[in-house]
Amino acid sequence: MRLCDLCGKREAALTVRQLDKEGKATELAICAECARKRGFTSVEDLKQNAHEILAELKAKIGEKDKEVVCPSCKMSFADFKKLGRLGCAECYRTFAEQLRPLVRRLHSSVQHVGKSPQQGRKRAQERLEVERLRAELEQAIRDEDYERAASLRDRLKRAGAGE
Amino acid sequence: MGLVPEKVGAWLSQSGPENDVVISTRVRLARNIEDVPFPGRMKPGDAELVLETIRWAFGEIGYLNKGQFFEDGMLTEPDGQYFVERHLASPDFIASKNRKGLFVSSDERVSVMVNEEDHLRVQALAAGLDFTTAFGLASELDEQLEKQLTYAYSEEFGFLTACPTNLGTGMRISVFLHLPALVLTREIDKVLRGAYAVGLVVRGIYGEGSETKGNLFQISNQRTLGQSEAEIIEVLMNVSRQIIDYERKAREYLMHNLRVEIEDKVFRSLGILRGARIISSEEATNLLATVRLGVVLGIINELNVSEVSQLLVLIRPANLQVLLGEKLSAVERDERRATFIRQKLVK
Repeated sequence: MRLCDLCGKREAALTVRQLDKEGKATELAICAECARKRGFTSVEDLKQNAHEILAELKAKIGEKDKEVVCPSCKMSFADFKKLGRLGCAECYRTFAEQLRPLVRRLHSSVQHVGKSPQQGRKRAQERLEVERLRAELEQAIRDEDYERAASLRDRLKRAGAGE
Repeated sequence: MGLVPEKVGAWLSQSGPENDVVISTRVRLARNIEDVPFPGRMKPGDAELVLETIRWAFGEIGYLNKGQFFEDGMLTEPDGQYFVERHLASPDFIASKNRKGLFVSSDERVSVMVNEEDHLRVQALAAGLDFTTAFGLASELDEQLEKQLTYAYSEEFGFLTACPTNLGTGMRISVFLHLPALVLTREIDKVLRGAYAVGLVVRGIYGEGSETKGNLFQISNQRTLGQSEAEIIEVLMNVSRQIIDYERKAREYLMHNLRVEIEDKVFRSLGILRGARIISSEEATNLLATVRLGVVLGIINELNVSEVSQLLVLIRPANLQVLLGEKLSAVERDERRATFIRQKLVK
């Protein structure tokens, strides 16, 4: 199933292919909802105005690349593409989404297995504990079991303070 | 200079498993300290901070008296080549302009580069095909350091490294092989293609971009993420064993069918080394490699493998100069090298 290039959420209802002067084709997939929002009611409408949508799309992609900068070392993804090296650990959190396809290509995987630092493991366990308590708390509230909810809230506070 | 210029460390001077084909095994772990930019993006003062932090951590774990810490001046050209030739540091490390440090254990089996491409590159070498020793040494130091330092790590990507090619385990392992019979029988390409097919990389013995001299090859893992350390080692172990097996069969074939030709090649090589008055590092490397083959095949009995293996390192330009205690021009070096080899080989 191809997703709409504009919203990236809904299934595309149709694809438009535009040929430029050199004969290079650009293909665009769009869903019914996004087409309606932009005032296109017929396929003909869309075909005639495909360049508008393409421009919107290009701007969107450009913005994304330019905008995101690692909050810690100020590296952009464009910098990384040029240098081939990340700037700091925070870069991996900032660019996780863009890096995943590259990491998969390099290693045929995006999930580390093997050794982990003991401290890292401890932190991971703490995080898991917090998540687990939070889920239980929500359930308790849904169940209107307020006594249990209060006790869970206290445990959550303690676990959170230990982070 | 420190270390012992006349003798290369335990990983080369001792004998190890499968020593007839495998020269040595290396395990290298890439690690970074959280909250400090990677070396390529450090701000002024960061490099110093990392160096001091790591020196402190070495002190805390009682490692400082187990070897020597070298810094800046000794680690740049031309002196730094000494460590590259001994496989204790990478060429990129010596070329880098950052504040940097190199720890080398007294037996030269463990070395740690500080501020190479990553904050830490922990490396261990062992003689022959021996991951138990090499991985054991690297891993032990890594675990001790990790108690003192907070490593950059993510549950998803593992140990975070400047280059995404080292993510995950951060572990790059290599086996250094001497494969003259596979080269002579023209089987080498087939064998190396097989290694590529299972995701391994083959290079010359001095790493990236270096040519394969003296039929010496380095085979390493490519993938570092998505496989555990044990799995990575197992793959390289299995492939190495197969290659060792092929090489031995090729040697048997040669000794059976072309014995005189092989003996001729070996004794001519020894003859040139014993008689030459001027010799380049490259020529000496090729001839010594052939002599090494002669020793393991039992054609030459008066020399032993580790003597010859060590010569392969000692005759290289920087090591030769440190050993002789003089700075020499290329012309002078070739002459002194020939004299040095003659002294070692004429008994």
